[in-house]
Amino acid sequence: MMILAYVLIAGPLAGTIAAAAGARARTAGWASAAGAGVTLAAAVWLVIGQLHRAPLRGLGGFLYVDPLSCFFLLTVAVVTVLAATGSVGYVAAEEAAGRLSRFQVRLYYVFFGLFAALMLASMETGNLGLLFVLIEASTLASAALVGLEGKAASLEAAWKYVIISSLGVTIALAGTLFLFYSASTPLTQHLSADLRLTWPYLFAHAHALAPASLRLAFLLAVVGYGTKVGLAPMHTWLPDAHAEAPSPASAMLSAALLNTGMYAIIRFLAITRAGLGEEFPRVVLLVFGFLSVVIGVLFMVRRGNFKRLFAYSSVEHMGIIAVALGFGGVLGLYGALLHTLNHAIAKAVLFLTSGDIAVRYRTRESAGVRGLLATVPLTGAALLLASFAVLGSPPFGLFLSEFTIVRAGFAGASPVLPLLLLLLLAVAFVAFARTTTGMATGEPLPASTAGASPYRGGGTALTAVLPVVAGLVALLVLGLWIPAGLGTLIGHSIAVLG
Amino acid sequence: MSRVQNLSATSVPGVLLDLSGVVILLLAFACLASKLFNRYVAYYGAQSVVLSFAAGVAAYAFGSVELWVLAIATLAIKGIGIPVAARRLLIRRLDLKRDAALSTGLSTSLIAGGGLTAFAYLVTRPQLLPHGLVAAAVVPLSTAVILLGALAMVVRRHTVAQLVGWLIVENGVFLGAITLVATFPFIVEAGIFLDVVAGVLIMLVFVSGLTRELASASAAELRELQG
Repeated sequence: MMILAYVLIAGPLAGTIAAAAGARARTAGWASAAGAGVTLAAAVWLVIGQLHRAPLRGLGGFLYVDPLSCFFLLTVAVVTVLAATGSVGYVAAEEAAGRLSRFQVRLYYVFFGLFAALMLASMETGNLGLLFVLIEASTLASAALVGLEGKAASLEAAWKYVIISSLGVTIALAGTLFLFYSASTPLTQHLSADLRLTWPYLFAHAHALAPASLRLAFLLAVVGYGTKVGLAPMHTWLPDAHAEAPSPASAMLSAALLNTGMYAIIRFLAITRAGLGEEFPRVVLLVFGFLSVVIGVLFMVRRGNFKRLFAYSSVEHMGIIAVALGFGGVLGLYGALLHTLNHAIAKAVLFLTSGDIAVRYRTRESAGVRGLLATVPLTGAALLLASFAVLGSPPFGLFLSEFTIVRAGFAGASPVLPLLLLLLLAVAFVAFARTTTGMATGEPLPASTAGASPYRGGGTALTAVLPVVAGLVALLVLGLWIPAGLGTLIGHSIAVLG
Repeated sequence: MSRVQNLSATSVPGVLLDLSGVVILLLAFACLASKLFNRYVAYYGAQSVVLSFAAGVAAYAFGSVELWVLAIATLAIKGIGIPVAARRLLIRRLDLKRDAALSTGLSTSLIAGGGLTAFAYLVTRPQLLPHGLVAAAVVPLSTAVILLGALAMVVRRHTVAQLVGWLIVENGVFLGAITLVATFPFIVEAGIFLDVVAGVLIMLVFVSGLTRELASASAAELRELQG
């Protein structure tokens, strides 16, 4: 099992190594996709193997894999496979169109693999200090992807991203310090420092932690890692970064990176709930969550760059997950985790579709795209279906998870909050669908260049379609039926959180 | 294990740590009060040198080899490497002199800085830390440095100034780390250090690329006006 945990992290590095060794776009792309496939296989295997066993521990507490880690590993692995496969076609098409040089293509694959590997590694560590180190490193790797195109706009977005996220994560480090300090009570004198910063230890001794210090630590962690999650008001980097990154990288940002930040918050949440009780973390998460949903929805009303629209939808959905964590209870946590997986797949599909559209139309403005269903039926249909999926319409998975979250809200004391959430979801539906249905339907623009396929060769064209179709099928399946293994995994993850 | 917390504020190392913290805070204020790019970098460099001295004091007091390593690395990289690189690669090459992109006046930001320092004392001192220990004296200082760095990032819009602001935040966290928890696992401390170095490198690339792009964009505008 231990070896599996290492293979899982090393998988995405295949693309990095291939690109660093000088492979061409297509070879590096396939290497990266194959590596991602290995990672997904390892993640599934790990889930099956670890489902009914004690958490995997090693390296003096630095390696720690429990069901919660497994769940997030699985989510990130799925997204990595989708995005790596989508990259093959997208990057080749961009290189053929002369928008990326060969050097930029190599940079892309080097940092894509590093980014994925660092995120996966951060979910396999039980040491909260190392968690910070890995998350900050993944910020830096992904910043290179955001600024890849080298234009003024993308460099500015990358700058904004790296400086805001680094500041945020540094604040989370201050939170980690206070957590470490709160554990420095007489009770823990005999333990080594390595152990005092590990999650299982802190969780087991949560009641003995100094409360004032713990409270400050949680607040700093939510603000700090919340910057990575894109919780309002720390979300300002997110729309720019998502709009400027190459589309498969946007998919990774939205569907994997944001979840990595949420994973860190959930770890802190569990300790805080065990140490301070439900009320304090509940209020903090509900405030940040609702603020994010409101901000996300408000900015979705504006038309314009469709990748920005998808980015604000990510802010909204991260807010929903925070709200679900705030509602709490078994139902709330179940909804939060299920929604994490569903949103990850749906957003990966949406951003990959946006990449397909951007490659065909050479624009990221929604006004420049019309009549997709007529010109490129498959892309148009994918855009429509993915939009409805992400907005939570049945029969897709997000309907089920949002329904669960609202139910968890009604199980609480006051019906005001879940009603407010429902209202906001309705507004989001109208705002989002207005733009995407406009892009998919209507008369194609006369000047549209979208007739010819930008992909050379059937293999690369297939990579633009395959992940999108696979993702949509997965969303449909998750909407109709939760596989028994997944249900058990989520159940065990909730049990981990106490 | 928690010798750090037991280090009293009146012992010699305790006094030295406390004093270093004060100097680091004053240098953060100096940076906030300055308008010249040269000075930003100089104050940051001086702050890092004092920080490495503080790390050395802590290393001596606790007899910790890892802290010695960190003290030397801080001196070499943060005290010398980063300031020299910033001066060569950014300030001289991009010909940066006076920072005009301030969103508030200097006096306003200094007053705000004073308020944040008071806030840092208010939040950290009474409830978190027992009196009489060095941590109780230094943690409010380090929190104040973190807040001042963040303030510098907010009131300054120039990328180089924001970069220096982030580095000051990082120094504040590091100051807290060596006094509050000198027993932090070494791998983690080393990882944090590497992250800072990698972060500075990648930010240098973005800043110089961005400045070049903007310069060529404005030059293109000029040509258009001429034609």
